[in-house]
Amino acid sequence: MNLTTFYLAIGGLILAPLIGGLVAGVDRVITARLQSRMGPPLMQPFFDVGKLMSKVIAPASHWQGMFVRWALIASLASDVLLASGADVLMCFFVQAGSACFVAMGAFNGNSPYSKIGAQRELFQMLAYEPVFLVAILCMAKASGGFDAFSFMASQQPLLFKMPLIVPGLIFVVLIKLRKSPFDIAASHHMHQEVVRGVYTDYAGRDFALLEIAHWADVTVVLWICSFLWATGPLQMLAVAFITLMIALIIDNISARLTWRTMLKRVAPITLILAIANLVWLYVE
Amino acid sequence: MTEAYIGLLVLWPLVAGLACLVLRGPGVRSALVLATGAALAVGGLALASQAPFTANPGFLASETAMHIAEAAAFILPVYFLFKGLQGKHLLVILFSIAQLGLASVSAFMVPAAPAAQSAVVLDGLSLALMLVVCFAGSFICIFALPYMKHHEEHLHLKVSRQPGFFLIMLAFLGFMNGLALSNDLHLFAAFYEATTLCSFLLIGHDQTAEAKKSAYRALWMNILGGMCLHAGIILIQKQFGLADIQQIVNPALWTGASLLPIAFIAAAGCIKAAQMPFQPWLLGAMVAPTPVSALLHSSTMVKVGVFVCLRLSPVLAGTTTGKILCLVGAFTFFATSAMAMGQSNAKKILAYSTMANLGLIIACAGIGTPIAIAAGIVLMVIHAATKGLLFLCVGDMEQTIGSRDLEDLRGIIAKSPVVAFAAVAGSMAMVLPPLGMLVGKWAALEAAAASPIAMVMMTLGSALSVVCWVRFAGTLMAGKSVSAQHAHSSALTSGPILSMLAAAVGLGMAAPWLNSMLLPPALANPMAGGWGLMPPLFILAMIGWIIGMKVLRRQSAVTLATPYIGGLPSNEPGTFVGALGRNWVLSEGNPYAAEIFGEPQWTKIGGALATALLLALLGGAFI
Amino acid sequence: MFGSFLKKSQIKSPWLMHFDCGSCNGCDIETLACLTPVYDVERFGIINVGNPRHADVLVVTGTVNPRNAVILKNIYDQMPTPKLVIAIGACGCSGGVFRDAPNVLGGVDKVIPVDVYVPGCPAKPEAIMDAVVTGLAKLGKILEVA
Repeated sequence: MNLTTFYLAIGGLILAPLIGGLVAGVDRVITARLQSRMGPPLMQPFFDVGKLMSKVIAPASHWQGMFVRWALIASLASDVLLASGADVLMCFFVQAGSACFVAMGAFNGNSPYSKIGAQRELFQMLAYEPVFLVAILCMAKASGGFDAFSFMASQQPLLFKMPLIVPGLIFVVLIKLRKSPFDIAASHHMHQEVVRGVYTDYAGRDFALLEIAHWADVTVVLWICSFLWATGPLQMLAVAFITLMIALIIDNISARLTWRTMLKRVAPITLILAIANLVWLYVE
Repeated sequence: MTEAYIGLLVLWPLVAGLACLVLRGPGVRSALVLATGAALAVGGLALASQAPFTANPGFLASETAMHIAEAAAFILPVYFLFKGLQGKHLLVILFSIAQLGLASVSAFMVPAAPAAQSAVVLDGLSLALMLVVCFAGSFICIFALPYMKHHEEHLHLKVSRQPGFFLIMLAFLGFMNGLALSNDLHLFAAFYEATTLCSFLLIGHDQTAEAKKSAYRALWMNILGGMCLHAGIILIQKQFGLADIQQIVNPALWTGASLLPIAFIAAAGCIKAAQMPFQPWLLGAMVAPTPVSALLHSSTMVKVGVFVCLRLSPVLAGTTTGKILCLVGAFTFFATSAMAMGQSNAKKILAYSTMANLGLIIACAGIGTPIAIAAGIVLMVIHAATKGLLFLCVGDMEQTIGSRDLEDLRGIIAKSPVVAFAAVAGSMAMVLPPLGMLVGKWAALEAAAASPIAMVMMTLGSALSVVCWVRFAGTLMAGKSVSAQHAHSSALTSGPILSMLAAAVGLGMAAPWLNSMLLPPALANPMAGGWGLMPPLFILAMIGWIIGMKVLRRQSAVTLATPYIGGLPSNEPGTFVGALGRNWVLSEGNPYAAEIFGEPQWTKIGGALATALLLALLGGAFI
Repeated sequence: MFGSFLKKSQIKSPWLMHFDCGSCNGCDIETLACLTPVYDVERFGIINVGNPRHADVLVVTGTVNPRNAVILKNIYDQMPTPKLVIAIGACGCSGGVFRDAPNVLGGVDKVIPVDVYVPGCPAKPEAIMDAVVTGLAKLGKILEVA
């Protein structure tokens, strides 16, 4: 591993959660503006995490702290892998590992809402993982390699070769950002039927660390989406921003679906489109 | 010296097994089993240090051995026919007769092939299977000692049937080693049939109606596999007059020739590995005592199937037959992972997961490139350790609570902490990076880059298996703490379990180097491509482990918060004060979503598609 | 710098949990009105959370009766420290016109310690927001001293 990779890795480690926090802030401001409100300051997510860090509360289970730390390490690792140009498939699997740890910690909670949330979180993973993997496979086929630098090195934007994976990527972003209609496992807004779902039992410092892990995850997902037009850093930022906007608009105009609809109707449609794109890339 | 070690691996287990049968005392039995474990470990490591090599030990290379192999090709089907008539099972009778017919054709109507150049060849693949049998097989037999004692206590048996049980278990290990090492096709076929015999006897061990039914189902399916194997052998004998496996798997031999014999042998491998549509025999084998399931499903029987396909893979690379075999394996990976999702019977979850991973390995074999083959062998070895661990844990937990339903296993870490934690670790090892199974899956996915449909099925299967195993692990823990009155397991139970866990983790750590050892020298860089990520990820995992343990210790010392539930928490744990002011029990259950993942519909539709694929495998080679 | 950021955050992100202890819903409607675009409490970082484990401020309306006193205490205990309690409306402050009724305990402070009282029947949204800000100032002073 040479020095450049090392610097990139450190940069990814420190900047990715911060970028994710900024994305969360932009998310809340734009959502508020869409709802004709002022919205919180841009730095609000950082204040939220800072407040949570100093909260003192008894844990809901002996295991949750352990799983939270493991989830945080896995999420940060996936950012580091992507930043240093490593294998994107392995970055995906490491991030999936982080989601597994969150679900495991929720299974160990003492609230039934936490356990329902954990089961739903697993079904959400089942819904988005195949289509996300197929999207990465399409990008790999078009760029000729599995590492992040090949993805970013294409002369022509990848979007033109894989338009059919866009619904799938939007689906993944909606799920990962916990936006309606797929805000199923951790019902974002208060007084929804599973209280806070998979996050119910996490509180205080554990919840703060989980938020940071979530920011790291969001950065990875949006970054992979930005590979669709990776001709330059500004273009990548634009694609990420446009993806976020689409997600926010869909969030604000739709109600939540059930996990059965997500798994039986939406996931197969996006997956079939993505598979069609993959096969087309191989055929031509 | 090499020949002595080979004898140790193949013959000693048979001798020890016969000794168990004759000297019926439990103490002697334990000593013999432990001695066999030690002998196999020593022999296996000794041979590993000399790998690769060829050898001609007398008992495998001599004329007598050849005659015994040919005789076995008749004697075993005759025994199967006898059992079929005894059990009045039509398919067993028909297939045994057909098998005898094929054996006669092979012996009398086809010119005899010259003996193989070397009776024993130890290359990467045979070394992998041999070490799997020696270590995993030994651990399982050692675990079986206390397990069978409790099993017979549960059943209130007056006369112990353990001597016969351990005879077959140990003999099984010997036959498997012989199968892994032999280079002669007839000897290989004889060992293959011997494993069919052993599995029939072991599945039916408990002699209940269900056990007998499952045993006969396994028998007819495996006889069918044996028929495919013999058909392939006959065609090869007629076409090339060869019986030397190393010569047969040389791709140069098959340029321009029809791959039908190879397709037949690959089909035999698929049947032995319980690929769809032949999965019922493996599911039925779950009625047997757990050591049998572990031995059959992780370290021996089913590995024969993938071993056969991996052995054939140099010939399959780049051919249509190879592509279809890849689809057969990938489809099984996907379909059986989906069926595992809909199961609440813990042993059936393990069975479906085994078939899924075997499908993945067979998909690697079908791809046939050196990278794919290496990924397949690494998967084979790590799967043996991980799945063996899970089977032993589930077996012990089943004995503790008397049920194998996942809903009953909920929160079992309170009662059997060591075994339950090992099971949770095993489940995590199945799906999390940087541990071996995920790494193997990743390598297989990248090796399949030439076949988009196979890749898609691999991604689907991977997502399904992640959900299945995380749910499994979460159910076992369910937020319980270790209770003060937990069961203490004997050393012979926790020893094998912890050793298998150490093996699973250790092999995962060693995966980059194992992979590079199996590749040809030009490609053999352990840190090539994404493999270089594994050591840093492992170091990160270890740091994570230390941090996690610190936090766990800190949080274990505090009182937990009251649960946030739809009602007032009451003093009795697990209940809340609800309507009418009384205590209601808080119960939970996993959503198995049978309307999506139900076994019946997937078995029907998946079975039909898989049958079509297997027919395409054979037909495609025929045309 | 990091420490002062953490300190500042504690008053810049008050997460509210609202509980109705027998209110006529007048105060509840006014409380929820704060979330609407006209009043928009999210400007102050206030989010309405449904999970006491995530809440900093407990906003209670209604007189408290013996049955929901137990539940109120339960929710209060499940909140992390440091926490604030705001009693909304005449009923929450002292029981209002229902104070002498047999099932009424007479205000939130009979069960849990209250930090800010908001009079009114119903209390106005501006007053509720003012109460949260006052409560945060009180919390800030406590934390500075601690």
